[in-house]
Amino acid sequence: CKMRSSTILAFIFMCLVSSVAKTAKDEDFSEFDDFDHDEFVDETPSSTGATPSSPKTQSNKQESLRKEDELQPKPSQSNDEEVSIDDDDDDLMFDEEEFESSDPFGSPNQPPPDLKIAEVPANLTGSHWEAYYCEGIMIIALLGYLINFLIGRTKNSQLATAIFRSQRDMLRENFTVVGDNGQTKTGQEEEQTDLMQKESENLYILWCTGRPSIDSMLLELRFVKRQCLFNSLAAIIKSTNDTIVYTVDYSKEDMDTFVFCLARKRCAAKLHRDMIDLSQFCPEKKAADRKGLSSSYQILSELGEVSSAIIDTKIADFMNRSPDAIEYIHVSDQYTGTKTQTTDPQSPPTPAPTNTGTAAQQQDALNASERAVRRVLIVAFNLVPQNGQSLQVTSELASNDYLHFVLYLMNRVGSFRLTSKESKAKANKNRQRIEETFLKSVNQQRQEQAQQRREEQRRAEKEKVMKSDDPELQRKWDEKEHKREMKRRQPKMKQMKIKSM
Amino acid sequence: MDNRRSNRVHRFQPKFISLVDDGLSDYMNLIGMLCSMCALMLKIKFCGWIALFSAIVGFANSRVSEDGKQVFSSFMLSASAIVITYMQNPAPMKIPYFE
Repeated sequence: CKMRSSTILAFIFMCLVSSVAKTAKDEDFSEFDDFDHDEFVDETPSSTGATPSSPKTQSNKQESLRKEDELQPKPSQSNDEEVSIDDDDDDLMFDEEEFESSDPFGSPNQPPPDLKIAEVPANLTGSHWEAYYCEGIMIIALLGYLINFLIGRTKNSQLATAIFRSQRDMLRENFTVVGDNGQTKTGQEEEQTDLMQKESENLYILWCTGRPSIDSMLLELRFVKRQCLFNSLAAIIKSTNDTIVYTVDYSKEDMDTFVFCLARKRCAAKLHRDMIDLSQFCPEKKAADRKGLSSSYQILSELGEVSSAIIDTKIADFMNRSPDAIEYIHVSDQYTGTKTQTTDPQSPPTPAPTNTGTAAQQQDALNASERAVRRVLIVAFNLVPQNGQSLQVTSELASNDYLHFVLYLMNRVGSFRLTSKESKAKANKNRQRIEETFLKSVNQQRQEQAQQRREEQRRAEKEKVMKSDDPELQRKWDEKEHKREMKRRQPKMKQMKIKSM
Repeated sequence: MDNRRSNRVHRFQPKFISLVDDGLSDYMNLIGMLCSMCALMLKIKFCGWIALFSAIVGFANSRVSEDGKQVFSSFMLSASAIVITYMQNPAPMKIPYFE
């Protein structure tokens, strides 16, 4: 009876222990090793001796099972020696039942049995947070990008403020309105802005107007995208720099008719290709060294006398003093933007024949018979640190000179008039040619649109007729169609007849 | 001599700004939305992180005149994609082709 109760107790205890072991997360069974050594004398040299010979992948499972087996007989052994013999038999039985295919005492040449052990996810074993190293890398990258965004944005903002402050006084002396976002009421003109208008983190603009002989001047600060890590790396690779662009708009009577461009070689080809007016009116590029300028510049000019008139001594002096300052000077009375911006110089930037919501816009564009040209002077300067100074200091010092230069050039272009009759005739001829091609394309588009509309009407009529299921109507419609086709064919036949006669 | 003329004042119009936009903001929004959908539907954690990245890059390259709601919505979508993907499967992420 004592023996029975003790075995029953031992069995219950084992069950409890095994259930706890299963529910515990990081159960290595090493606790049972300690437990065994503390509590019980080492009784199973045979079973423990067998474990090193088994392969490592199976060792965990085998050990765990063996340890469970050990635990079962041990309490009984400790209590009663008689039980030990039976337990040995039990051990053997267990071994035989559990490991039928393997022989722990057999030769090591036999291949180990295939036991598939489920992979425990890394985050559930010992290392919790170390397993999430990919997420850590992502978070660090995101934080790095955000820090770069803040630093880049601040730097661009500081540059813009510095440039504006250095030019503010001169601008206020020359323009009635400095800084207009187009939305404030006209009565608030007196409030002068202290900051440039921010279009994006790398584009700041300033609108100046109210000066004789020009309509307006737009000052654009086009900075490198320092706020975006990828763009700033690309800028380093491509070696792009910050630019200031002055775009002066003239009215019709303020400027004569010519197209001229002076640009650095690296952007002359691009401008010649992309700018619609330069590609239409300036057939070839010439080196600028003939006019006393550096050989790194090229001239695109419609009329010969313009380049001599525009590039005078003062401009040549400025360019020699600051060799890389000017990126390009573009003067044009036929400015319509770049080819990528507008497919058709007249229409707003949408593709030509579409029948979606832009049809109304297209119709308005086609109804107007004039091209939307602007008369502009565009001057682009590079902002590059010089003489070992920082970019901000260089920009502050140089931007004043740049504004002086632009004001001088603005007046010069506004006052220049073509002198020779040949130049005027050539200019008029060029403009007429472009106007004719434009009108032809507009007519063609109008015809195509009218034809499309007619076809749609016919389709709608056909659908109505087919739906009505009235044989009379269908017959009448078929007759109409037949007559239309005959009419279409007939004129051609008539022309053939006249020719033969 | 005063060079200012108040009778020659013209109001600013946005059409005068030359569009030097490379469209990065729009591409990033599109990629963000696609990756968020992939993360939500296919439970790919990597896509969720890429979506969050592209939302941030799109925000950095956006213009002031553009609607802020789109940027905000792409942020929220990418964040929700990440949270939902991790709730469904808390296991750590594996970068494809790296492991």
